[in-house]
Amino acid sequence: MSDYSVEANGLTKYFGDFKAVDHVSLAVPTGSIYGVLGPNGAGKTTSLRMTLGIIDPDEGTSRVFGERPQSVRHRIGYLPEERGLYPGMKARDAIAFMGALRGLDWSEGRRRAAGFMTELGLERVIDEKIRKMSKGMAQMVQLIGSIVHAPDLIILDEPFSGLDPVNQERLEMLVKRERTRGATILFSTHVMAHAERLCDRIAIIARSQRRFEGTVDEARALLPMQVRYTPRTGGDVAVILPPGAEQRGDAWHFSIEDKAVEPLLSRITASGHGVTGLSIARPALHDAFVHIVRQVDAGFAADARSDAIEEAAA
Amino acid sequence: MSPFAKTMFVIARRDFLSIVATPTFLLFLLAPLFMIAMGALGGAGATQLADSARGAGRLVAVVDAADVEALRSADTRLRKAMGREPATLEIRVAGPDAADPVAITREKGSDTYAVMTGAFANPRIVERDADSNSGRYLALLASDVLRDRAAGAVPPARAHFESLANGGTSIAAQQSMGFGAVFIIFLLTLLLAGQAVGMLAEEKGNKVIEILAAAVPLESVFIGKLLGLLGVAILFIAFWAAMAAGGGLVFASQMDPAAAPAALAAAGKPAIALTAAPASGWPFFITISLCYFILSFLLLGAVFLGVGAQAGTVREIQMLSLPITIFQVGMFSLSTAAASAPGTGLATFAQIFPFSSPLAMAARAASDDAKAVHLLALGWQAIWVALVIWLSVRLFRAGVLSGGGSWKFWRRARPAAAAAAAGAADIT
Repeated sequence: MSDYSVEANGLTKYFGDFKAVDHVSLAVPTGSIYGVLGPNGAGKTTSLRMTLGIIDPDEGTSRVFGERPQSVRHRIGYLPEERGLYPGMKARDAIAFMGALRGLDWSEGRRRAAGFMTELGLERVIDEKIRKMSKGMAQMVQLIGSIVHAPDLIILDEPFSGLDPVNQERLEMLVKRERTRGATILFSTHVMAHAERLCDRIAIIARSQRRFEGTVDEARALLPMQVRYTPRTGGDVAVILPPGAEQRGDAWHFSIEDKAVEPLLSRITASGHGVTGLSIARPALHDAFVHIVRQVDAGFAADARSDAIEEAAA
Repeated sequence: MSPFAKTMFVIARRDFLSIVATPTFLLFLLAPLFMIAMGALGGAGATQLADSARGAGRLVAVVDAADVEALRSADTRLRKAMGREPATLEIRVAGPDAADPVAITREKGSDTYAVMTGAFANPRIVERDADSNSGRYLALLASDVLRDRAAGAVPPARAHFESLANGGTSIAAQQSMGFGAVFIIFLLTLLLAGQAVGMLAEEKGNKVIEILAAAVPLESVFIGKLLGLLGVAILFIAFWAAMAAGGGLVFASQMDPAAAPAALAAAGKPAIALTAAPASGWPFFITISLCYFILSFLLLGAVFLGVGAQAGTVREIQMLSLPITIFQVGMFSLSTAAASAPGTGLATFAQIFPFSSPLAMAARAASDDAKAVHLLALGWQAIWVALVIWLSVRLFRAGVLSGGGSWKFWRRARPAAAAAAAGAADIT
């Protein structure tokens, strides 16, 4: 068995003249939870659709379990970004229908649907028609529909959007449980907290290209350590701190490289200013994400400026 | 069962139940009653119009040269005595080249209500409508000529009536059956193919289509939808066939078996009116017509799905459906023309052209007893069904799932040119 459930290489897609996805590659280790992060319109959904074989890439290839995605559809569960259910169907039948599409026996699908819905606290709407359910409930029904056949790979496109905090937590629990079962989970989001809590690895896509790939810690390590230091005594504290340290109230805020942590502690101890408060922490994934996206945007803005200058000169 | 077939039937079952298990299906099932009611109303109006227009047409008598004057004077005499003046009588001299009465009724330039040929004692009268005044008037003329010639009392002429409308002649009857088959197939196909597009539009509207596209091959989605609606159509046909059979049984149980032939004999009508059959025989004709209906539906349904899938809204679907409907009406016209002119080049063309082939071949089964040719036609049409579904799926993929982009080959050069400049560099 391959170490990777999903191997997408150089996926590129044009919509008219717009390059929606530009040579994006993804390698999702089997049994992992993998997040595809990116701002709105970055190309996450199109990348996932190409990975699944719903749309053909203009360039690049996608392999799922080492094969064409179309030939292993029954091993995949997919929750699209735009939720879709037949409004006239009952919840239990809608789930069984989605399972049946992937080869699950209809009656077994109905049985499993009842089990999942009870577990997620939705037992009172099992035989309710979709049109009578709230948006969040319908979304949970669709989510169950995408995993009812116990797939080996679960692809969820923005699964948390539209869910209240309670259901978001239920969904996180479900994702973890599916991973424990042995499934590989690939999901997209622009909410960093979920990715930070769930993902083993992430890819950050911005402006149609993949800008980062690695673990959450590796992403956070892109930025220096964030330090918050509150001395016990006043005086010229700034001289022992790195350039750029900023005082807000009693506390000083600055960032330092990993290797500068011990020297800083030595300087503080030796200076005699004392310590009322000291926190040295990695920045959150949110900060790393914003940093990456801003860098990309700054690059685009610079390109646009130089283009404008060249145009004016011409 | 293969996974492809299995998913196809899952979709077919869903679509079938979503139509049948609704109260509106009852309306659909009873639609023929509305159609019959409307037809009856329209027919009554048309009859009134026809009656008021009577006189503009003609009656034709084909007689020996020696009988022309006698017939003309009988016409002059009797015409004035009639409550409503009959249509103009055209008298033709019989000869070796005299046209067949059925052909005379179809001559262009005049509306022919009835044609009389043969001896006055037992003339053959071909009527446009059964039991018409025109037919009776010609029989009356024959009797009058006989009476005029005989010295004493003579029995009235024993006319042999045949009606074009009721299948009085076998060829006319078979052509009528062919036309009927064409009409029924056309009507059902058009009704149901439109529904297929509506369902696809609904799935696009509620975004289910992406789930289907991710889970199963689009070919099985398309074929599944067509099969689901075919199931609806077959249920519809079975319902009305059962109603007709039940009605027939009730009628038969109420009737004296000897009464019908006796009644016909008393009216001087030939038994052919009730015993006319398609050239290929009833069982074959019904079976093959059902097969042609299925293929016609699959063909048109696939076209509707393929083109309709490009639309995003109901309004767009209506806009796109209109040209296809007009095209299908064109195929209907072509097939009816072929049905009334069997063996001609036009008929052959209609039988070969894929979109009119199911209709025209059903008509052919009514007037031609050759059976092997139908196997060939079914195979030919099946190839076209597969081709249209294949093309529709690609259209759908290119136009809908790809976000409405243009055809792929237009874009071939662009990615290649851009590839060198591209390069996804991770930030580290």
